[in-house]
Amino acid sequence: MSVKIEVGAGGIPHNQILIYGLVGSVILIYLTYLNTYMQAPYFAFFGGLAAVVALIWGTDTIKHLCSYGLGTGVPSAGMIALGSGVIAALFGATTGPFAPIVTVIVAAIIGAVAGLMANAVVRMDIPVMVVSLIELAIVGAITVLGLAAMACGTFEFLGMITGQISFFGFTITSYETSLIGGSIIAVIFMLGAIAIQHSFNACLGPGEQQDRTLMLAAECGFLSMIVVAIMSFAFIDRYAAIITLVIAIIGWLYTYKKYIELSKRDAYAWLDAQPILEPKGGA
Amino acid sequence: MSALGGPKQAGGIQPPTAMGLVLGIVLIIIALILAFFLVQMAGLIALIGIIIGGVLIGFGVHFVPVGGAPAAMGQAPGIATGVAMLAAGAGLAGLFGGAWAAPLGFAVALAGGAIGGGLLMAITCTMVNVIYVFGMGIPAASGKVDKDPITGDSFPEYKSQGTEGHGLPFISWVGGVIGGALGGLGGTLIYLELLDVYQAQLPVILNATVEQIAPIAISLAGIFAVAMFLINAVLAAYNITGTIEGPHDPKFKRFPRAIIAAAVASAVAGIFAIGLLELVGVF
Repeated sequence: MSVKIEVGAGGIPHNQILIYGLVGSVILIYLTYLNTYMQAPYFAFFGGLAAVVALIWGTDTIKHLCSYGLGTGVPSAGMIALGSGVIAALFGATTGPFAPIVTVIVAAIIGAVAGLMANAVVRMDIPVMVVSLIELAIVGAITVLGLAAMACGTFEFLGMITGQISFFGFTITSYETSLIGGSIIAVIFMLGAIAIQHSFNACLGPGEQQDRTLMLAAECGFLSMIVVAIMSFAFIDRYAAIITLVIAIIGWLYTYKKYIELSKRDAYAWLDAQPILEPKGGA
Repeated sequence: MSALGGPKQAGGIQPPTAMGLVLGIVLIIIALILAFFLVQMAGLIALIGIIIGGVLIGFGVHFVPVGGAPAAMGQAPGIATGVAMLAAGAGLAGLFGGAWAAPLGFAVALAGGAIGGGLLMAITCTMVNVIYVFGMGIPAASGKVDKDPITGDSFPEYKSQGTEGHGLPFISWVGGVIGGALGGLGGTLIYLELLDVYQAQLPVILNATVEQIAPIAISLAGIFAVAMFLINAVLAAYNITGTIEGPHDPKFKRFPRAIIAAAVASAVAGIFAIGLLELVGVF
């Protein structure tokens, strides 16, 4: 199982994607805090966009990690990412306004322990293992926190368990109808896991191109966002949910169209590569 | 994949590094002390239960006959998918069984979890063999041993040239059921311990009855049990580097490494899950 999975060279350097992904997604999650200031959940969609940005970064990380040939398939990396991430995200959510920062720190701790165990005890001895699992745990945590914030309009724990985010004088006090009480968090967990593991799993191999893989990651992210947007009708104001849904659908249509274009481009390039050249003058 | 050369580590088992062992012991002790200070004796017992559950999961994964992509082509024995998927299936089935039986008492719930996980693996292994034998027309033959340790059936006559064996021999079937049962037991143990912690804390924090907070406690304990299950299963998958035939496989001897890794990862993830509610309302 130590066969190297082929990845394409070139593209944007990974460290650049890391910085943009981390800073961008944390800022986007914080933009959902505008809901609390404006007393209206119209900015919930920023949580979904944070998840999409994090997923793009996570896909590039998975590409780096899996190019070493884990032997367990690409999906396992997505599973450990979201497994670490959901613990960090829910723990971070209890810290109120500091939630995104605490989430990132806690995810880094869990990811570092998992990475150190994988390298020092299980003896994978993969150079990028610790850094990659830290990154993946952070990506998983931001994905869960972002989608959860999008679904219920806030990234604070009490908002997630009480479901009191409703307006027009209509307040739900039952814990059952909340994001966590209704176990929507489990659906978000799986939607995030599928989104993070699919892109590289689908695109790996000879002729893999970074822009195509990352475009598929964005497409998967928007696809998950559509589903969560539909679920958010149960928790937040109807118009806010419609705004989220429209943004998710537009984003998905755009990325899907771009992805198909890039796929056709790469298919054409492959066709044109002509690995076996015909001798001149005919044979 | 293993059809194309096989893993490098198959010959000798690299022991964990001293740094990894020391770090692991220190982390477990820190987590136990933190659990005692956060939730007193109940927290300590809960964390020990979570660590035992994680170890059971990490150990159980080694029994499951994972074939991966070569098995799908009939070139290696085992179930034709990755560790993460199989472990998640068995663990979740066990968790459902255990969670359903939770009101009936601790022992019944644990038995329910073990039977749920074992039953899923029994059905999966049986149907896999039905497809192998009647659909693909291949007999069950192990490539790692000459005789089935339980039935005494001989394998070399039935093994096709150029393969590592194929189908699902009886010993692998037994291993799958044992692995599923251990996984279900571990997942249910984690769930029950966390449920106890949350059912004790949530009514005080939210000033509500145990019945009112039940959806939140069950949902939180469930999602954390799934998350820890996946972390431990993936670490065990990294330990066996992809494919394993069952308890008779030489790779099975690597399990002590996975047990250490699973114990440390569960302790660190568990302390965040146990301490989750300590910060609610502080900020």
